[in-house]
Amino acid sequence: MAALSLLSGNPVSNPNVTFTWRHYNRLFDSDLYFDALVATMRIGAVATIIALLIGYPLAHWMARIKSRVGHAVLLMAVVAPLLTGIVVRTFAWMTLLSDRGVINTMAQWLGLAEKPLPLMYNEFGVIVGLVHIYVPFMVLTLVGVIGRIDVTLEEAARGLGAGRLRTFLEVTLPLSLPGILAGSLLVFALAISAYVTPVLLGGNNVLTLPMLIYQQVSASFNLGFAGALGVVLLAVSLALVFAYNTILGRLTGERQIA
Amino acid sequence: MSRRFDAGHAAYLTLNGAIVAFLLLPIAVVIIFALNPTPYIAFPPVGVTLRWFVKFFTSAEFMNALWLSLRVAMIVVALSTVIGALCALGIARGNLPGTRLLTTLFLSPLMLPAILTGLALFQVFMLAGIGRPVWGLVVGHTLVAVPYVLRTTLAVLQNFDRRVEEAAAMLGAPPARVFFEVTLPLIRPGVIAGGIFAFIVSFDQLPISLFLVIPNGETLPVVLLNYIRYDLDGAIAAASMVSIILALTAVLLLERIIGLRAYVRL
Repeated sequence: MAALSLLSGNPVSNPNVTFTWRHYNRLFDSDLYFDALVATMRIGAVATIIALLIGYPLAHWMARIKSRVGHAVLLMAVVAPLLTGIVVRTFAWMTLLSDRGVINTMAQWLGLAEKPLPLMYNEFGVIVGLVHIYVPFMVLTLVGVIGRIDVTLEEAARGLGAGRLRTFLEVTLPLSLPGILAGSLLVFALAISAYVTPVLLGGNNVLTLPMLIYQQVSASFNLGFAGALGVVLLAVSLALVFAYNTILGRLTGERQIA
Repeated sequence: MSRRFDAGHAAYLTLNGAIVAFLLLPIAVVIIFALNPTPYIAFPPVGVTLRWFVKFFTSAEFMNALWLSLRVAMIVVALSTVIGALCALGIARGNLPGTRLLTTLFLSPLMLPAILTGLALFQVFMLAGIGRPVWGLVVGHTLVAVPYVLRTTLAVLQNFDRRVEEAAAMLGAPPARVFFEVTLPLIRPGVIAGGIFAFIVSFDQLPISLFLVIPNGETLPVVLLNYIRYDLDGAIAAASMVSIILALTAVLLLERIIGLRAYVRL
């Protein structure tokens, strides 16, 4: 794919191909492509932050819950969405967010909104969908890290007179920082490469890098340019994977799994 | 002090309850629409009907796609469990140089954008002039399914007492017999769990399939995606229910076989 992005045509069917940078130049020629790149990163970043804010409390609960049954139930609640297809989950959000969907109907019935709120076919909808899909990854990464924090450290802080909040902010949170970083990198990497959710919940108003890549192949059949876009996405992902592995490697010492 | 403590704890539980609801409710909502007779997404539901399930199961398009998806998933399970288990054994036992690098390499498809895996395979197939055969689809899915098997098998191997194998060998069992009668039964839970994940991964796989399917030879997620773009009726909800029930079955099976914890210890 990387090789193809540098060539002017199909080297098998066309013997006159030459080495070219034009697919990469095209990336910077038009605001459209650059905007797509920026939008992809922005959506990824916002989704990651929200996923962290939602995932952290749940991971904390899972790591600290005493009952085995409670733990198993929580684990199922986290893994079940993970195993449901992305198309299905995105469809579920469409039924919730669309103009005649559950949320808008309820809001109008309760008199909270005069007309349907624009909940989807915009970046808001895409972000909601992405957060829902990637929170489980965040939770699963964080649970392990929070579970490894020695509870006696927290008890010591409490014993020395620190309140709940202060114990959390000054002991638990700093100790779980590697997990927060690892989880965030993972979610960001997944969110910027998502295709289904932006297509369905973003409609024509959102254009992300993966959408652009598929469009180049299916509509324009421009494999070279698709390749160039792919290389950009790949470079970002590889950097993230590398960072993720380094953090996890440091975290767990010997054992590490990407 | 204890009163304030309780209020804080109550807030903590409420927050977490809300988060669990956020995770599960959208999936629960689908069932409402699968049973609601109106031909478009409408809330509240006006009745109960099974016509969408009938439409789903009698539609040639959906059934062909479902059948293709199931067939591909079965082959992917067979391939990825064999490859994944062998890789895991190699990594855990082989005393190979660069074990960490190998593990990272094998697990990398988990984190790299699947859409790029699809694009890359598509380009390779185009260059090689072999078009888009079904086995190409199988190769693509196997590529992303192997890491799951590798991970669950490695997890089991980590708690594996090698002395059991050594004892069997000492008692005169040839290597093949040791493998089939000692090693295999012991790693089986990990391999089976990986196989279940592989099935789900293949069955739900979209970004790779998107590039590798041919018209009228699409997998279920691709058909659903195209359908949703133009039509939002209960047939999609019914199809979703089928897929959700499969996923729930998988979760329960996994919990029974190895306990989900083995998978979660990242």
